[in-house]
Amino acid sequence: MNEIYKLTLTEVVEKLKSRQISATEMISAALARIEVTEPNLKACLTILGDQALSAARKLDQDGPDPTRPLWGVPVTVKDVFCTKGIRTTAASRYLENYIPAYDAQVVIKLRQAGAVIVAKTNLDEFAMGSSTEFSAFGPTRNPWNLTKVPGGSSGGAAASVVAFQTPGALGTDTGGSIRQPATLCGCVGLKPTYGRVSRYGIVAYGSSLDQAGPLARRVRDCASLLSVIAGYDDRDATSSLHQTDDYTTAQPVTLRGFKLGLPQELWNIKLDPDIEDALKNALKILEETGVELRSVNLPHLKYSVAAYYILATAEASTNLARYDGVRYGHRSNNPQDLTELYMASRSEALGPEVRRRILLGTFALSAGYYDTYYKKAAQVRRLIRDDYYQALTDCDLLITPVSSLLAWDFGSFIQDPLTLYQLDLMTLPVNLAGLPALALPVTLGKTSGLPVGLQLIGRPFDEINIISAGLALEELFPPLR
Amino acid sequence: MPIDFKTTLRTAELACLNLKSGLSPEEAPAALARLTKELTDIINYFNILNEINTSEVEPLYSPLLEVAGLRPDEPERRANPEELLSQAPNRLGSFFVVPKII
Repeated sequence: MNEIYKLTLTEVVEKLKSRQISATEMISAALARIEVTEPNLKACLTILGDQALSAARKLDQDGPDPTRPLWGVPVTVKDVFCTKGIRTTAASRYLENYIPAYDAQVVIKLRQAGAVIVAKTNLDEFAMGSSTEFSAFGPTRNPWNLTKVPGGSSGGAAASVVAFQTPGALGTDTGGSIRQPATLCGCVGLKPTYGRVSRYGIVAYGSSLDQAGPLARRVRDCASLLSVIAGYDDRDATSSLHQTDDYTTAQPVTLRGFKLGLPQELWNIKLDPDIEDALKNALKILEETGVELRSVNLPHLKYSVAAYYILATAEASTNLARYDGVRYGHRSNNPQDLTELYMASRSEALGPEVRRRILLGTFALSAGYYDTYYKKAAQVRRLIRDDYYQALTDCDLLITPVSSLLAWDFGSFIQDPLTLYQLDLMTLPVNLAGLPALALPVTLGKTSGLPVGLQLIGRPFDEINIISAGLALEELFPPLR
Repeated sequence: MPIDFKTTLRTAELACLNLKSGLSPEEAPAALARLTKELTDIINYFNILNEINTSEVEPLYSPLLEVAGLRPDEPERRANPEELLSQAPNRLGSFFVVPKII
């Protein structure tokens, strides 16, 4: 079996369990694939070759364990998850040499489940961006066309999965950072309900918005990963006590009579012609299959980008105040006094987009502007959340595009932050509302040959329903890889 | 509202950022002007929120629907202090070293 790296996660699990392949063979195949693809792709910031191989050998010595659902499965994690003894950079010069003393809760859970982390993937610095161009260590490239961005901020994770480096990956999603790169690269990405997955040990960006989730080439593979990482964690005060489902048992829904809501405000937005063509066709296929497509409205949607970027940057300015050159990370040489130590350490090592967002957030929280911007945005957030709840009352799920653009050329928006922010309109309201959402590929654009995807949005903690619908849609729209 | 240079610099000071870092004296004014323009454009865009009357709306700071769970109130040591301190760029024993304050 020469191409075991191409197996889906579910297939890998089966072959490992039945001992058709060993954990060492599987991990070696993933590492070999990484070695072949990395020179062009640049999806990984740290590759854990020896460590992963030694973990695999240990697994093989002990033999397959039915209580460990990801036994011997190679995975990557975005480089915002703290890994004990392994550098965790958040793609920032500030944390270039930072070695955490502890693992993120999801990393602990992955390892307990028998998964082997083979690499830590690239992202926009501190997950702030939607193209990975803001990584301090250089951008990741889109596997379908190396001149295009992979999306972001979990661009490394999406590109890695699509390039067959591993069958599954973990990313984080603050405003679309799992779903948008999954779509631009042509894989499945799941953003769970806020609170479903522990944020303990994740480098924080927007604490009321951040949520970890899986990326994979199949819906069922995302379900397997979610089953492992979901659940209450007493070290994360925002972790939910809501009962977790066994997502691996999900079955495709019956599409006849299934009600999908189409938010008009999102479907009326001008899309790239390739996307428009592909999604219109997809909706036609869904309708022919018996899906009930219903128009719904999100009256406050047009305010969501403004509300989001006030709240996210305010939270970022607070969270990133910890980078002061004292306890860990970059420290400026020879500062004259304590203030200069803070200012120089931060200014030397934080990148332009991170500094811009810190400034925006600091402004929104500063005296005289707090009520006008921060409080106002939080009030609008409630209206947006209520809109989504209302829209979901009359249908099973909402269905929307993920991105109005296909993967774009490097440099297209690097000087135009506001336009880049506005491109997040399809995804970020879901984070404001804290809802779960799944992005899945539909087809390749007719003229561009680049992936196009759809987004399913559900009620809080209704991941099982999204996954079940995703499984049904996957039968209609076969995976791209 | 337009953001002027003074506001940009004041905000940077609050955020502990030196906007001239890494720039030559010749480059700094243009960079500051560009940043001020970007911030103005973005903050003007934020003002779209003024279209909505929110006087009766409770702010929503977190989307979580429930009260946070509490863990048992028992002391525990989860990380090794030496490992945590090992990341300090400059330390003396169990202290972080910073430039003289007084």
